[in-house]
Amino acid sequence: MSNNRVTNRIRRLRFENGEMTQQQLADKVGVTRQTIIAIEAGKYAPSLPLAFRIARTFGVKVEDVFQYENEDA
Amino acid sequence: MNRLQKSAWFNLLLVTVAFPIASLGLFLMTRTNAKGIDYLIIFLVAGSLAGLGGYLLLRKKGFEAHFDEREKMIYNRALVLAMIALLAFLGCVCFIPFLVLGGGNSVRVLYLPVIYLSTLFVGQFVHSAAVLIQCSLEAEDEQ
Repeated sequence: MSNNRVTNRIRRLRFENGEMTQQQLADKVGVTRQTIIAIEAGKYAPSLPLAFRIARTFGVKVEDVFQYENEDA
Repeated sequence: MNRLQKSAWFNLLLVTVAFPIASLGLFLMTRTNAKGIDYLIIFLVAGSLAGLGGYLLLRKKGFEAHFDEREKMIYNRALVLAMIALLAFLGCVCFIPFLVLGGGNSVRVLYLPVIYLSTLFVGQFVHSAAVLIQCSLEAEDEQ
């Protein structure tokens, strides 16, 4: 059995980009603020297109925003 | 409150208001006119087909078109729950009379539209409730 988890640096990137609010990021990528909150908290793993949109909003690569952790038990 | 919650509350309110009205209509038509049940079944079938066709044609322009991917996931999860509840309800409605009354008895035709209306109500009620519960659980996590 393996335990897969996607972590992210969205909160840090928001603050590095002029203290962008969750609502501003949500508006730029076309989702609700609740979705950004869920992604930041690691409760929801976004689709690949949304992950790319978030990364492009910050001007970085997807891997710089999202990290994939695979813990084989 | 986001669009998904608003649409769930709207559907919940709509079905809660529509079910007693439809039940009352069915009751009155069967009491006042012996042929009323025929017209009612025609109305139910026509209404269902129109509703289904309208939903398929217009759903992309409705609330669902504005849902984001996480909201669509919540919506679809609620849809699965609603289908399970609907099947369980139909199973109970069909098998309980069979088990209680036995196979040799008969059930009045009047109960068919009642079962149909009840199934619609249960399906929509569970769907809306499942959406609202999931949203409220996520809201609790945010706090």
